[in-house]
Amino acid sequence: MSIFPKAVQVRKSWDTAIIGLLLVVIVMASTTTEGFLTSLNFSYIFSNTSEIMIIAFAMLFMIILGEIDLSVASILALSSSMLGWSYAKGAPIWLAIIICLVVGTVCGFLNGFFVTKLGLGSLAVTIGTLALYRGIANGILGENTVNEFPEFWTSFGFDTFGTTFMPKTLPMIIFFGIIFGLLLHRTPFGRRTLAIGQSAEAAKFAGINVVRHKMIVFTFTGFMSGVAGMVYTFRFSTAQADNGVGIELLVISAILLGGVSIFGGIGTIWGVVAGVLLAGSVESWLTLQEINAQWRTIVTGILLLISVAGPVLVAKSKQRRERKALKS
Amino acid sequence: MDLLNKLKPSSREASLGIILLIAVGVTGLINPRFLTGDGTRDLLTSTSVVALLAIGITPVVVMRHIDLSIASTVGLTAWLIADICAKNPDFTWVHCFIIGPIVGALVGVLNGLLVAGLRLPSLVVTLGTLYIVRGLVYVISNSVDYNSQEMPPSLIEDLGQRVYFGLLPFTFSLVIIFMVLIAYYMKYAKSGRDAYAIGSNPPAADLVGLKVFRRTFLAFVFSGTMAGLAAVFYLMRFAQVDSTAFYGQELAVVAACVIGGVSIFGGTGTVVGAVIGALLVQTIQGGLAALGVDAFWKAAINGLLLIIAIYADRVLAVRSEKRLLQQRIRERI
Repeated sequence: MSIFPKAVQVRKSWDTAIIGLLLVVIVMASTTTEGFLTSLNFSYIFSNTSEIMIIAFAMLFMIILGEIDLSVASILALSSSMLGWSYAKGAPIWLAIIICLVVGTVCGFLNGFFVTKLGLGSLAVTIGTLALYRGIANGILGENTVNEFPEFWTSFGFDTFGTTFMPKTLPMIIFFGIIFGLLLHRTPFGRRTLAIGQSAEAAKFAGINVVRHKMIVFTFTGFMSGVAGMVYTFRFSTAQADNGVGIELLVISAILLGGVSIFGGIGTIWGVVAGVLLAGSVESWLTLQEINAQWRTIVTGILLLISVAGPVLVAKSKQRRERKALKS
Repeated sequence: MDLLNKLKPSSREASLGIILLIAVGVTGLINPRFLTGDGTRDLLTSTSVVALLAIGITPVVVMRHIDLSIASTVGLTAWLIADICAKNPDFTWVHCFIIGPIVGALVGVLNGLLVAGLRLPSLVVTLGTLYIVRGLVYVISNSVDYNSQEMPPSLIEDLGQRVYFGLLPFTFSLVIIFMVLIAYYMKYAKSGRDAYAIGSNPPAADLVGLKVFRRTFLAFVFSGTMAGLAAVFYLMRFAQVDSTAFYGQELAVVAACVIGGVSIFGGTGTVVGAVIGALLVQTIQGGLAALGVDAFWKAAINGLLLIIAIYADRVLAVRSEKRLLQQRIRERI
């Protein structure tokens, strides 16, 4: 008998399985595909996944809580549009960036308000705000795009340090990764997040302020989506209303791939990092193999299905084996 | 007073109907053309695809599931129908009405097996199939588009233009027939009632021995089939199709359902409400367009409507919960 509940054991093996799978994919891609194992390609993988990674750090908490935020891509678009719009209207770039981050935070706060104070379901509400936030971005910018930004910032979004493979955004992402990793695994806040995810009712009776906790998580998810909006704007040097359409699904599939349970209460930061990088590596592999971009949509869908069916099937086969062992 | 209480259960649809009438009236005041036969016909034609899809996902949503793959299914089915008809010029509307639902049902079977068979969360499963099905359209279509010349004239020109009584398009008359059939089925058939039982309390439904697997599976197959039929409506309305047809419209359908009182938490709602919800969204869009609101704000207004509807739903639920509690206390005394 082990001291861990069964679910945790399965998850643990799923976490390690994903990290193993990531290594297998990298090895296979390197041996079969020329140009995969180059510093240039790795810098592409890192920068292509940067927004997804940034949002995923916060969304990890959201899904552990048993909530979901489908509006993150729309927050990205709205904060990116506000960045471009205010800069085009003559605001200095630092102010435009602050506006971008504030807009993101406010959007997240609003989501949290709807969910916690009004008691509405996060799935339904964020489907609504998904349309609402992107709609506002659409209303503000229309079909216009802003693509004149100071070179310092576009270089921050696009370039690497000297000749290394490190994109300039990587230190920031690592910084956020460490912060959120410590927050989840080394602080009372993180423990409370896991506790609420296991059972919100029990957590409440244990004296955790569930409403405030969820509010904080929704707000910083908005903030991180704003950060992602900023990175996205500078990386492509465009601010427009349809920036990042559909990213919310990529974020969620990467997180689930990383062994976070959609039912809440279980998840690790390294699983999420591995999940995001796995999705990014597979995508890069397909691109280098010159496999039609259209196939990638299918691969994303299949990855998502595997990521959710995998743990369930593993758990089921384990149960079956245990039952057999009991019988004999 | 007794009579009022008896009427209450169905008051959600009634009050929605009144809101719809008010919206139609206000829009008519702004733009008198809206109230003419032509205006009504336009409204009904443009609503029929979403309304049919809303009917399709209502049983799924009532069972506390969701089907996000319907918009991709519409895209895939519409493109396949157009492709098959282009390669077989002698095909008529009958073939379209056979191919559509079959293709849609196949996607539904896949969803149903994953959700009901493996008991995976429907949100994630149908997000996955949303991607996969849309990806299939991209791959097989190979950027080929079709327009009205390649489609059967009996579908586009004959049925697509047919209007009864000067205001009821053929497509919406089918919507009404389905609405009545499904409403009757979900209200009076045992298997229809099961949907509400499963949605109100899934573990309990399992424990009392309801056929949860079969009902859930069939609900997803039904939703897929309706999406396949909606694809035929889509062709009749737009007479052209490419790989991005109906992209991203799944949320509009969910919004129509929720606004129509089909709770996303399962257990309540009717197809009548869902159809009224679809009509309401379309009417408000029409009204705002008549007011001169920029089309760019359309999505924002849709989102706002959805949030208001969810909030109203919540307030009503809390109120009825309180009423039931008081009733129980009174009965004890």
